[in-house]
Amino acid sequence: MTNPWVAFLLVPLVKIVVILLAVILLAAYMSFFERKILAYMQIRIGPNRVGPRGWLQPIADAIKLLVKEDIVPARAEKLVYFLGPVLVVAPALVVFSVIPFGPAFKLFGYEVAPYLTDVNIGILFILGVSSIGVYGVILGGWASNNKFSMMGGLRSAAQLVSYEVPMGLSVVTVLLMANSLSLVKIVEAQKQAGVWFFIPGIVAFFIYFVCGVAETNRNPFDLPEAESELVAGFHTEYSGMKFAFYFLAEYANMVVISSIATVLFLGGWLPPFPNWLAALWASPALAWIPPIAWFVLKMAVFLFVYIWFRGTFPRYRFDQLMDLGWKVFIPVSLVNLVAVGAGVLLIGGK
Amino acid sequence: MSNLESIKPFPDSEEMEISFGPQHPATHGVLRVLLRLDGERIVDAKPVIGYLHRGTEKIFERETYNGTIPHTDRLDYTAAATNNQALVGAVEKIMGVTVPPRAAAIRVMLAELQRIASHTIWLGTHALDIGAQSPFFYTFEEREKILDLFEEYCGARLTLNSMRVGGQPYELTDGWVDRCRAFVDQFPARVAEWERLLTANRIWKLRTIGVGVISAASAIEWGLTGPPLRGSGVKWDVRKVFPYDRYDEYDFEIPVGANGDTYDRYLVRLEEMRQSVRILQQCLAKLPDGPVMAKVPKVIKPPKGEVYFSVEGPKGELGFYVVSDGGANPYRLHVRPACFINLQALPEMVRGLLVADLIAVIGTLDIVLGEIDR
Amino acid sequence: MSFWGLLASIVPFELGQGLGVTGRFLFKKKATIQYPEVKPVPKDRFRGMFGFSEERCIACHACAKACPIDIIHIQDHFEEVEVDGKKRKKKVLDRYDIDVKRCMFCGLCEEACPTKPLAIWLTTKSYEASAYERNERLYFTKERLQSWDGVRPYPGVVPPRQGQMPDDPTGGPAAGRGEPK
Repeated sequence: MTNPWVAFLLVPLVKIVVILLAVILLAAYMSFFERKILAYMQIRIGPNRVGPRGWLQPIADAIKLLVKEDIVPARAEKLVYFLGPVLVVAPALVVFSVIPFGPAFKLFGYEVAPYLTDVNIGILFILGVSSIGVYGVILGGWASNNKFSMMGGLRSAAQLVSYEVPMGLSVVTVLLMANSLSLVKIVEAQKQAGVWFFIPGIVAFFIYFVCGVAETNRNPFDLPEAESELVAGFHTEYSGMKFAFYFLAEYANMVVISSIATVLFLGGWLPPFPNWLAALWASPALAWIPPIAWFVLKMAVFLFVYIWFRGTFPRYRFDQLMDLGWKVFIPVSLVNLVAVGAGVLLIGGK
Repeated sequence: MSNLESIKPFPDSEEMEISFGPQHPATHGVLRVLLRLDGERIVDAKPVIGYLHRGTEKIFERETYNGTIPHTDRLDYTAAATNNQALVGAVEKIMGVTVPPRAAAIRVMLAELQRIASHTIWLGTHALDIGAQSPFFYTFEEREKILDLFEEYCGARLTLNSMRVGGQPYELTDGWVDRCRAFVDQFPARVAEWERLLTANRIWKLRTIGVGVISAASAIEWGLTGPPLRGSGVKWDVRKVFPYDRYDEYDFEIPVGANGDTYDRYLVRLEEMRQSVRILQQCLAKLPDGPVMAKVPKVIKPPKGEVYFSVEGPKGELGFYVVSDGGANPYRLHVRPACFINLQALPEMVRGLLVADLIAVIGTLDIVLGEIDR
Repeated sequence: MSFWGLLASIVPFELGQGLGVTGRFLFKKKATIQYPEVKPVPKDRFRGMFGFSEERCIACHACAKACPIDIIHIQDHFEEVEVDGKKRKKKVLDRYDIDVKRCMFCGLCEEACPTKPLAIWLTTKSYEASAYERNERLYFTKERLQSWDGVRPYPGVVPPRQGQMPDDPTGGPAAGRGEPK
């Protein structure tokens, strides 16, 4: 690109707007898809009255939450109470700045990459930023001036922190196979290897996804926010848009976990068997499929599995949840790490 | 609450007392439980009831005997047919009336269908409390089919008013037997589906095995009946021990658990549903002909006396104690509510467990506040 | 423990079975009825809104006595009429009110009614009688019980004044007592 103003200001701005809009819309519509798919699994139809076949339901929900009275508890710590939802949503959205949705392509003669940036410590950046979300949970629970909210917040935070360890260890196995922290290079490594990383790293794949479910406080790990519990958890005292932010953050985190799992384990924007079937994918019948479509498809599969889990499983009690995280997942991921390391050493030789 | 003060397992701990309910999605009605917690461990639990008291037993005293039957529907409102059966059985006992065989068979069919319907509610809500959302909808879909059968027979789905002193008010409609048979034939496959979702599920087992244990000796001492008693290993079912409505003519088993925990009670109730199917199939196969109403006077005036009669309802032994003074209204009609007596064992079952287990135990006792509070 | 047992304790195969059950339900027929465009069909014996016929009622008070909660209020008086040249006393209804807001729809009144066809019946298949104000709108006088003002009849059903019969709520030609089948 020649014009620096275009290259360094306009293009990133456009990318930010597009990514933010897409992610927020996707998170909002995730609530709709969840209701519909859960309903279909439960012999009923979900929302189907608002808009054609119910498709405007999230818009109606958003308007409702916006015009709802914003109740702040009398003795809540005002600034922190306000910061809680912000600290949960912001990291979830910021993570999308490094996730690659597709390879670089040509647009109007310019080389455009469909991701905001590619830092060479991509994975580290993601793990660090998404951990900031834990602050939002703790502070939100504490600032509500409600001892049950605080207990719920602390429990939720303990769960988030415990499950980050096996998640990180599974990510390390991918790093061993890809030799780079940059997300774009990880996808390219999968193209070079010719196989998506979930095949050699199948254990890491399952651990990553299950820990991802625990990280987002989803069923079967959603005790901190279950309705049949003593309290509704850390977001009991929140109403209106702040409450909406917590839920937006939950869905956005689901999208984050799904995208990262896609990039790390399912080859990002790559079609299946990119090297063996390269001729097939290049044939005129299939060449029109944009790589971002593969990415979205794989992400959609993960999101569907999230909803599928919610519709099927009972939930773990909190102590059983912590037991599982510390006594099962961490040892298994450690053993897996050693095994994959040995495998890479034997096969790769570097 | 003096007995609570005497329990202090950890002398230096800071216990707190909180009120669980009465408005809570998991207490199955308006039940309040005063919990004494040490951290998250339950030191003591005290159920507080009465939020649904409607003075039913007093209302009974001013009704005619047939007029009390709609009120019994509203005791255990998830199992109206067995409530009806208990009341009319008690009045018939005091009058010395035997219902015709066809009426007895229809009563057995209604009662067993009602048992299945009540257990489907139990399974759906219990699974929902423990976190599994979908079985609720699957079980309620089966319940819809049963309620359709009820609606076809007596005109109502929930508050049936389906029996009278002396027999049945209605004859079966055309095709009712076929529709019932169709339902009964496809039902065991549904139960197998629900089992595939829950029985071997490791999360389910973690939540229910060893939770809410009560020994057989304790169960008998507390006077528990129904699945809480049978889950602890005591083989006691009113249908076998004091048969009524010709239950001794049917061939069925009494499922019994081994450990007295939530998982065993879950298995017992599932097996009870299958045994109900067995009884229904036998009823449908050999439904006797004949009248559905015995010869009873238009105004029911039982002779002076008192009698106790009980049936095996889905929740346990539901009994009626009738005191008659010879008039058209009962002098006293007292209900032996199965859920009320089962609920008394709650503190013993939850002591030492976590709060999340309290919900599982309330669900496994299968309480209905309509019967507890009357 | 066998190899498969060990594997099954680590890999949750039974959870996959559970997922299979839910997944299969994804493609089964849904049970939702799109009310109010489609209404669930009540059975023939369904105990719904009251049907009342003043011509058939003989003011015997059997229904009022049978009602467990005493919500049927009847007042009548005797009138002298000429029948076949003889002076006869005939009962004329002044008031036949039902306090529907308290009714439990048990059907004991219908059972007690001695006339053929029934003067009071519940087999009308109609259940939509909701109101915004309950003390007046859910208290049905003699006229409203027959005109069904405020009651939405089930599709295909006519109010009593337009000819509804106990065993044929559509108002078609029907004979018989309205005997519960």
